[in-house]
Amino acid sequence: MSAMKMTRRGFIKTCGIMAGYAVLSVNMTKEVFAAAMNMVGMRQKQVYDADAHVYKIRKSQDNPMIKKIYDTKSGFLHDGPCGHKSHHLLHTEYKDRSARVKALKDKGVTLNI
Amino acid sequence: MMRSVEGVMYQVNAPKGVDPDDIFFVQVDPNKCEACGTCEEVCGTGAIKSINDDGIRQVVDTAACMNCGQCLVNCPYGAIYEGVSYVDELFEKLKDPDTVVVSMPAPAVRYGLGECFGAPTGTYVGGKMHAALRKLGFDYIWDNEFTADVTIMEEGTELIGRVKNAGKEGTLPLPQFTSCCPGWVKFVESFHPELLPHVSTCKSPIGMLGPLAKTYGAQETGSKPKKMYTVSIMPCVAKKYEGLRPEMDDSGQRDIDATINTRELAYMIKKAGIEFNSLPDEDPDPVLGESTGAATIFGTSGGVMEAALRLAYEVLSGQKLNDPDIKVVRTHEGIKTADVKVPNFGTVKVAVCSGLSNAQKLCEEVKAGKSPYHFIEIMACPGGCVNGGGQPIDPDVRASLFKSMIAKVNRRYNARKPVA
Ligand code: SF4
Ligand code: SF4
Repeated sequence: MSAMKMTRRGFIKTCGIMAGYAVLSVNMTKEVFAAAMNMVGMRQKQVYDADAHVYKIRKSQDNPMIKKIYDTKSGFLHDGPCGHKSHHLLHTEYKDRSARVKALKDKGVTLNI
Repeated sequence: MMRSVEGVMYQVNAPKGVDPDDIFFVQVDPNKCEACGTCEEVCGTGAIKSINDDGIRQVVDTAACMNCGQCLVNCPYGAIYEGVSYVDELFEKLKDPDTVVVSMPAPAVRYGLGECFGAPTGTYVGGKMHAALRKLGFDYIWDNEFTADVTIMEEGTELIGRVKNAGKEGTLPLPQFTSCCPGWVKFVESFHPELLPHVSTCKSPIGMLGPLAKTYGAQETGSKPKKMYTVSIMPCVAKKYEGLRPEMDDSGQRDIDATINTRELAYMIKKAGIEFNSLPDEDPDPVLGESTGAATIFGTSGGVMEAALRLAYEVLSGQKLNDPDIKVVRTHEGIKTADVKVPNFGTVKVAVCSGLSNAQKLCEEVKAGKSPYHFIEIMACPGGCVNGGGQPIDPDVRASLFKSMIAKVNRRYNARKPVA
């Protein structure tokens, strides 16, 4: 990076970066991440509290509407989980998307993977 | 046109029939980027990087971006915006008496939405959320938690099949990976296509609710599928990509018509003048609305695993699981592994992982043939959907960290100023 080529905006920014970038950017990422994970922990705790105290039924197989949809006589999915109708509506196939990533790498873009 | 929604900028853009691979679901506004590098640190793939000497970041190519939005929620300067928003179109549909508008909120939305109305972090607002959706004018208050329960039935049955028939010809291989997280699904399709047979063939819960709404739901309510408009409401950015996948039309129509996230729902509630905090708790409409604790824990890392084990335990052992809490698979970050003992069967080996760089490690292990697990849950966002890219922004990240950083920059800068 040469100072000659730098714009004013770039220069001011680089001063800031040079003054503390190495220490700062690393620290800040950690701090941002730590604050975020603290918040995530609080949200997760509420999820498990609701599971234990708000929801009367705790297992999917005990949900009356699940019993209704999979009812072997009159249920919409009467042929059961992974049955014919399930396969048509609820299952899928995946696509190999690696070609575009490869093209990107061939262009010289470095990725983490 | 751009619009500010709960502190995040959005491009007003409701794509139809567009290849989602060509859309930037998140991008950096170069005029707001302060070159701090936080986004690059949190990105698992390396899609977001410095593009000039000033250190301004950009998402360099849609092929490398999994649309997880972790860069967006962690940027301290609010410099990252969303490229897709269906809010205006949805307001139009809600006004149109001829359209049957169907709500499909994900589990994690109800643990984030309240924060936009001043509630403490994580407050459960499921009842108020259903009431607000009704007030907004949705015709059917269906809930994606119902199809989380369906997912357990389908994915659990698939897993039991793979375990029981392991090694037999025509059986899909172990370990089985979960397929609920659209960031992870695009990740494995892009970087590890040879592992696709390991990924559960189940659609995600929202991928199931779309087609069930327009078939079973239409039948139960006497609605015309052509008039139905299904709205996926997610804590996520990558779900906007998933909703646009061309193959998602098994109902005979588009399965999912619009996708919005938690922040956009809060915006709509405020815009409609609804007093969220004084709403009574209401239930969803039955048939495709009723759900369980197993469904709601899909919102956190380890939740799909625990919910699946609550089924697998009973099916494999033939016994009732008395205590549904399977705490060994609950996790905050990184990779957690556990051996779960199932009577009359043996040990089920599982791994729970969040964050794409952790996912990368488990993928390498499976490729090397060294993975001892039966079942692996992967979520792109650390901690799972409650920390999704579409959730309310933590004010700590934006406010106090921002201030402390400015203070630090100033301090360091002043400390190093040459003495005159
Ligand atoms: S986190 Fe935001 S401000 Fe920092 S480099 Fe990334 S986009 Fe720019
Ligand atoms: S959305 Fe996710 S994958 Fe895309 S640039 Fe941001 S952090 Fe990286």
